[in-house]
Amino acid sequence: MMFRPRIICFICNWSLPAGVDVASPTTIHAYPKIHVVQVMCVGRVDPAVVLGTFAKGADGVLVIGCHPPDCHYIYGNLQAERKVKMLKKLLSLTGLEQERLRLDWAYAYEIERFPKIIDDFRNLVIALGPSPLAEEKADSNILLNIKAAKAAAEDFRLRVLVGRERELTEKENMFGEKISQKEFDVLLHEVVEAEFIRHKIHLLTKEKPMSVKEIAAIVNMKPALVLRHIVNMRRKGMIALDHVDRTTLLYKALEVQ
Amino acid sequence: MATDSCAIKSKRRFPPCRGACPAGVNVQGYIALLQQGRFNEAVELIRKSMPFPAICGRVCFSPCQDACSRKNVDQPVGIRYLKKLAADIEREQGRIKPDPIPKTRKEKVAIVGAGPAGLSVAYELAKLGYPVTVFESMPRPGGMMQYGIPEFRLQKYVVANEIAYIQDLGVEIKTGVKFGKDIQLDTLQSSGYKAVFIANGASLNRKLNVPGEDLEGVLPAVAFLRHVSLKERVDVGEKVAVIGGGNSAVDAARTSLRLGAKEVTILYRRSRKEMPALPHEIEAAEREGIKFYFLVSPKQIIGEGGRIKAIECLRMKLGEPDESGRRRPMPIPGTEHTYEADTVIPAIGQIPETSGLPSVLLDERARAILVDPSTLETRIPGVFAGGDIVTGPASIVEAIGAGKRAATSIDRYLNGKDLRSEREEEIEETTWVKDWEMIAKKPERYTTPSIDIGRQRVSFEEADELLVKIKERAMSEAQRCLECGPCSECLEGEGLCEGDKAVVDETLCTGCNVCAVVCPSGAMKKNEVGIAQVDEELCKGCGICSASCPERAVTMRRITNDQIMTRVLSVLGGGIG
Ligand SMILES: Cc1cc2nc3c(=O)[nH]c(=O)nc-3n(C[C@H](O)[C@H](O)[C@H](O)COP(=O)(O)OP(=O)(O)OC[C@H]3O[C@@H](n4cnc5c(N)ncnc54)[C@H](O)[C@@H]3O)c2cc1C
Ligand code: SF4
Ligand code: SF4
Repeated sequence: MMFRPRIICFICNWSLPAGVDVASPTTIHAYPKIHVVQVMCVGRVDPAVVLGTFAKGADGVLVIGCHPPDCHYIYGNLQAERKVKMLKKLLSLTGLEQERLRLDWAYAYEIERFPKIIDDFRNLVIALGPSPLAEEKADSNILLNIKAAKAAAEDFRLRVLVGRERELTEKENMFGEKISQKEFDVLLHEVVEAEFIRHKIHLLTKEKPMSVKEIAAIVNMKPALVLRHIVNMRRKGMIALDHVDRTTLLYKALEVQ
Repeated sequence: MATDSCAIKSKRRFPPCRGACPAGVNVQGYIALLQQGRFNEAVELIRKSMPFPAICGRVCFSPCQDACSRKNVDQPVGIRYLKKLAADIEREQGRIKPDPIPKTRKEKVAIVGAGPAGLSVAYELAKLGYPVTVFESMPRPGGMMQYGIPEFRLQKYVVANEIAYIQDLGVEIKTGVKFGKDIQLDTLQSSGYKAVFIANGASLNRKLNVPGEDLEGVLPAVAFLRHVSLKERVDVGEKVAVIGGGNSAVDAARTSLRLGAKEVTILYRRSRKEMPALPHEIEAAEREGIKFYFLVSPKQIIGEGGRIKAIECLRMKLGEPDESGRRRPMPIPGTEHTYEADTVIPAIGQIPETSGLPSVLLDERARAILVDPSTLETRIPGVFAGGDIVTGPASIVEAIGAGKRAATSIDRYLNGKDLRSEREEEIEETTWVKDWEMIAKKPERYTTPSIDIGRQRVSFEEADELLVKIKERAMSEAQRCLECGPCSECLEGEGLCEGDKAVVDETLCTGCNVCAVVCPSGAMKKNEVGIAQVDEELCKGCGICSASCPERAVTMRRITNDQIMTRVLSVLGGGIG
């Protein structure tokens, strides 16, 4: 049977061409190939929601907002761009192809462009094949990774960084310093990796207490590095020592409020 | 500006466009609908605040456009053109025919004069369920829209169509009935009308007060335009001199040209800069070849054999500004000279006809009806007045505004309520100003297409294509709107936005300030203890703060993250390809 990808399209209220019936998502006549979820502004799409969508087995997520520099909310579309940039970094750590997420721009009156964007993306998703998380046969490792990514996207550190990107790179801080875009991207990359691993460790140790060595084997990392994350996580109240098995320390996740 | 001390003023804020519109049209709202290509809904939204979208789209002096914030970036949004276009498309594709509104009220209301003021009152009161009858002395309703503004600016089928909408709602218009002759105030009252609105306009021509004014060939502008629109034969000869600088002067001049005059000149006592006519109308007149003779005033009209031969004129110079702010023209002695003409059209203004009105209603010099400016009550309880009869010659949109105000008063009067408190008109405009630097300039989009769908002869396919193009252009023009108001109020129940607002969970907020940084509306501020607070008057409900808050302390009233996720699940669960 031919693969029919399930694509969720988050689209801003103002980019959606007239005539696309979003009220009844199962009967979209004009664009039967995607499932449209309308939001006020693409800047409103929470990264955690995107990852949640992937976790539920979507084969692709398309985010469409107004062409910069237009935005009904001044720079909501650029906010979305930052969020998607961060999400792609996160996705690349999960084993799910980051190409399954795409951001594009359209105006409501670009009646010709809109179907083109959709067809392009759809063809790409078809080429990638079904998501490894598509229902029954979900790949448990990737699913765990996506969940870790989602938790990271819900975490304070990444959200502050993304929310403040423009401020940090365009304005000086209180010491008169300004971070360049390049420096910021390096910083973002580091934080994305660290947050992802920490949340993955958190999810793993939620199941059962684990040792540094065990964790290191699963996340494919040097034990010393894992230990460093655990120290950090203990400080944040994400994890605690559960018990000691002979000489091995076993850690267990704490409930994060 | 602090408003708290002022009790009457509502705290709601409007965008500048809506604030500037005397009829309070929700400009931002219909522009938002146009951005999405929802043309008919846009027209219906305009109809919520007034019944004349196509008329105003053509001839309104559009204070909304002058006030539009976009002028701080490049040029104002082409509001009037967008309105015309939306209304024209709707009309050409078959106007929405409203169902008659059930007459739920028993108090009958009489309206004198079917101009924009009278018709607006009728429209508003009919919507409230009152039985309304409009009495009009002329054979057709519309007032100056029918008998003043010429066809080439305002096509009569457009006027007829918009009046028909009002009649569809159940308003009765009785033409050929003259107040002061066929009906009187007491006869109206004794036949059961509980309230009366008088809007008989200003249709008398102001006199030049110079010798020779009664000669044959002197055609006062308003009467002249009325004859033309009644399709009566009017002979303007070859050389026409129009005296005045307002819209009626320009209209009379352009009409004369269309009646076959060889040379038409507008004589105006000040300079071009002071002309009160609409600038684009003056330009159109120029393009058509109408001449202008500035700083000149007639001293007498000279006849020969009963017909006009020439005007004796005096040159003027401009002195100090007068109370209207324009520089006062002063004659230069000894500059008398003659200016040849076959026809003279005095167009120096209209005055209200007050002769048939009860004198208690009038001001001390009997020049207009005296009313309370905010409620439009006259000295007689239950009798209201508005439009040109009160203000002197003004504009259609001001007449509509007066009509709306009077309708509110009449409704309150008939319900025994206070006429004065909490009136919509008192609402302030928005004080939120954007960072203009942030907004990209795109004046190139500002195009007034020369395509007039009605006029071109095209095939169906071409017409369709043309319409698509025109619509696209309109939608892209509408995109230029900056949405100055916190909410365009087009929305509730229309699915455009959900009138959503952000809410802060103060127990979660750590005061990190991210919400304030990402908020496009300046709606997020910290309180004394550093906790984020939403200013609901400014919040546009975009939800960006909620998608960005690190502590996830900000949620939305209506569309929460969970709800978005539920929508995702509902469509994913659907499992169609
Ligand atoms: C030539 C010209 C051009 C204009 N151009 C513009 C323009 O481009 N844009 C703009 O905004 N405004 C324009 N105006 C002004 C605008 O038309 C008026 O301000 C507006 O129509 C006033 O509305 P109204 O309802 O108060 O009065 P009117 O429109 O004058 O309506 C009054 C009505 O009352 C009727 N009436 C009078 N006496 C009686 C009676 N005794 N009994 C029963 N009925 C009676 C009249 O027949 C008329 O129908 C123009 C005016 C003129 C004369
Ligand atoms: S930019 Fe839009 S909302 Fe602002 S004044 Fe202009 S038309 Fe009105
Ligand atoms: S919903 Fe939008 S406008 Fe309202 S406070 Fe949040 S970011 Fe600002």
